[in-house]
Amino acid sequence: MSTVAAALAPTASINRKEKAVAASLVEMCTVRLGSTLFGVPITHILEIVGAARPQPVPLAPVFVGGLVHYRGDVLTTVSLRQLLNMPPKEGRQDLLVLESAGGIFGLLVDSVGEVLTVSSSDHEPNPSILDERRRVLFAGAYKLKDTLLVMLDPEQLEPMRLSAARAA
Amino acid sequence: MDELTREFLIESQEGLDRMERCLTDLEERPQDAGLIGDIFRSVHTIKGTTGFLGFKRLEKLAHAGENLLGLVREGKLIANREVITGLLQLLDGLRSILKTIEAEDAEGEGEDVVLIGRLEELQLPAQAEVKQLAHAKASAHGSSAAPPAINPAEIKPKQPSAAAPAPEPAEDTQKTTASPSASTEPASGAAPSTSSEAENDPARQRTPIAGTAAESTLRVDVTLLNRMMNLVGELVLTRNQVLQATSADPNMTLLSRRLDMVTADLRESVMKARMQPVSNIFSKMPRIVRDLSQSLGRRVRLQVEGQDTELDKSLLEAIKDPLTHAVRNSLDHGIELPDARLAAGKNPEGILKLRAAQEGSHVIIEVSDDGAGINVDRVRQKAIERGLITADRASHLAERELLQLIFLPGFSTAAAVTNVSGRGVGMDVVRTNVEKIGGKVEIDSRTGKGTTLRMRIPLTLAIIPALIVRSVNQSFALPQGALSELVHIPPEQAASAIEWIENAPLYRLRGKLLPLVFLDRLLMPGVEHKVATERDNFIAVLDPDGRRFGLVVDGLADPEEIVVKPLSAVLKGIGLFSGATVLGNADLALILDPGSIAMKAGIAMREEGLVQAVESEVEADSAKGLEYLLVEAAGRQAAVPLTEVLRIEQLPVSRIEYIGYRPVLNFEGQLLPVEDSGGVLAAVQDNPKAQIIVVVCREGNRHVGIAVSHVLDVAAGGDLFEAGTAQRTSGVTLLKNRVTGVVDLGGVAPLPAGEQASAEWSQSVEAMA
Repeated sequence: MSTVAAALAPTASINRKEKAVAASLVEMCTVRLGSTLFGVPITHILEIVGAARPQPVPLAPVFVGGLVHYRGDVLTTVSLRQLLNMPPKEGRQDLLVLESAGGIFGLLVDSVGEVLTVSSSDHEPNPSILDERRRVLFAGAYKLKDTLLVMLDPEQLEPMRLSAARAA
Repeated sequence: MDELTREFLIESQEGLDRMERCLTDLEERPQDAGLIGDIFRSVHTIKGTTGFLGFKRLEKLAHAGENLLGLVREGKLIANREVITGLLQLLDGLRSILKTIEAEDAEGEGEDVVLIGRLEELQLPAQAEVKQLAHAKASAHGSSAAPPAINPAEIKPKQPSAAAPAPEPAEDTQKTTASPSASTEPASGAAPSTSSEAENDPARQRTPIAGTAAESTLRVDVTLLNRMMNLVGELVLTRNQVLQATSADPNMTLLSRRLDMVTADLRESVMKARMQPVSNIFSKMPRIVRDLSQSLGRRVRLQVEGQDTELDKSLLEAIKDPLTHAVRNSLDHGIELPDARLAAGKNPEGILKLRAAQEGSHVIIEVSDDGAGINVDRVRQKAIERGLITADRASHLAERELLQLIFLPGFSTAAAVTNVSGRGVGMDVVRTNVEKIGGKVEIDSRTGKGTTLRMRIPLTLAIIPALIVRSVNQSFALPQGALSELVHIPPEQAASAIEWIENAPLYRLRGKLLPLVFLDRLLMPGVEHKVATERDNFIAVLDPDGRRFGLVVDGLADPEEIVVKPLSAVLKGIGLFSGATVLGNADLALILDPGSIAMKAGIAMREEGLVQAVESEVEADSAKGLEYLLVEAAGRQAAVPLTEVLRIEQLPVSRIEYIGYRPVLNFEGQLLPVEDSGGVLAAVQDNPKAQIIVVVCREGNRHVGIAVSHVLDVAAGGDLFEAGTAQRTSGVTLLKNRVTGVVDLGGVAPLPAGEQASAEWSQSVEAMA
């Protein structure tokens, strides 16, 4: 985990520097879920695991995608599909290992794409017609040339926070 | 906080811990110069370093203590009880300031005038007593009364013992540090000894010894060790996969085998690094015993055994509270007041024994006292009073079962609530804490003789033996601690073997109904599951804290030693799983928590459950008690000591021949007298084809046969005591909670004698009233 963090550190500092300038650039890892393109800030990503096989947990909250084994620890994963009430996908899924203030967890997505550099000038906040649940999970969208990149907020995706939100 | 201060804090804590141990020892051996020297040095080191670091308050207090200790060391003052109490107060004062420094990086505002005053006051009698002392000690200590000129020849041989490495128990110090004296001289110059000690010859000799110990050890953060443990676990799994992948390639076999060995060694070393001797917690006990026995007016001697037994660091932390509680209990409820002890014909000084020993993959920790024991009648009465058990039920419980009632929440027999114990939140906490870490607690008590509390603690928390079971197409790990037996019911038998009351499934386990929980239905409610008659059923009989039930799973895999990984809070919330683990085939498995499953399934801790739990404990004890063969003859039960049983023969009654009226058996060419006081032979006399069973036993140097109708079981017998006299009864034993007669083999008359002797079949009676 430290290797990834170290590798990402320079970019993060560049980001901070550039924020001072008018329009800063941010690096996003794109993930695909159905037909939507989502983005996760790479500063939160520890590792990307292709073709993860999470172990299901009976009686777990519906958004839990199962358990995965990650560097000696057992990680709880959040299934983005189940979280957004989408039908389950057959076959391989990719896993992002994310670090949030609440701890490390996994995020299951259909597939992981590339790393894009986007400019904050292209960012727009969540539209008001989104349902309330998605308004919490999404952090606006970047207007790309031919599509929208929907931002995910890793802090909001943390399992403990999700279960608290569900309870409320 | 800077590195220097942190170092100072850790060192001072260790010094104070050592001082505490020495102080309690000093009470027994007030003249021991080694102990006094050690205590003096602890305080002196703190004083020296604080001055350097600028902690004025600490320095002042330590200085006051040092003055007092100086007098004691020079023999001007006897380390009597008042002085030791004062020094212990000093210790507490120093500790609390150290704690403040640790928390706030400053020594705080408090004033220590009272304590310093007290310490100065204690120095006063020194002048008065000095003469008296000189006389008293003249023979033993020679010139010790002459102030600063300590006779080096006197002190030298004792001093090195004082500088023993910290964790060593004070009693052992004399032996442990005999050797290093030769190499001391060259290093002494560099040693950080302070001025007042440096001019003292023995002091210069001591410091290097402490130095060598420090050079070979290193302080390591526990979190780092945990991380290492995790990584080693990971390595083990990777190794397993490498082994599988390379098994076909002969070039790789040698390499992978080497990887295998190195990994195993590494894992062992990391586990070892986490182990600490139990003396780390045992060493806190002398102080507790001293303080408590003084405030309770008891006279107690503490005996400690097996201090070097090692236990995982986290487990050691976990048993600290239960152990302290058990010690308090022994002092408050167990050991009587000196007068009462004298009246009972005992030594007025009670003995409290702490013992630790390793047994296989467990560590046994015992707290035993030679006090009054637990009054079983009071336990019964209290339990009924507090509604923990019905009067009717209580009258059927045996003594041993009644004793286990003290582990129920809300139980206390103390007549009055003291500030030490008696609030009824005691033994159940001990039990909960110990069970939380996978251990077990038992209590054993003899009225008038004392009580023993025994804790069985697994060696490490991280790795536990578990049975891998299958359900809902997944593997689950079932910790073996709660597992008592497995029953297999093939599909064709399921219809008759599993009985139902409405929708509650039950299984008859040796005649008793066992509530069943289907794991698949529990884990996936609202989904159609295969009915029991269409699949294999395995019943895992579990009894977590007295809740006995059978968990039905679809399949069993091998037992495995699993590495427990914690679950995230979200999944802990489900309540059925205590963790997760990675299996040998790299699959993940959730670890089932039998206690929570029982609760979730609504299995109450009923009285029956309690009794059964007790029974299983009795069974577990069987290794210790004498084992008996339980037999039945003409409707009555009796016990035959198992050690005497040679073989059990089933034969037609016609094989029995008679010499006069005595039945004999021609057994392998020898004539065996057959005992039939149970009337088995008489009952089947008219039917020559009837089968009878003859238990062939050894009696002295001859063999005898006993005719019985059935052999029922093998069980461990418990001793019975005659009410009031505490005298062990003979001829009967407690078998499966029934008072059962033991066949008197010696009573079987030898053959030549024509007289028929009788081995009385003692009638089985209902369990004690």
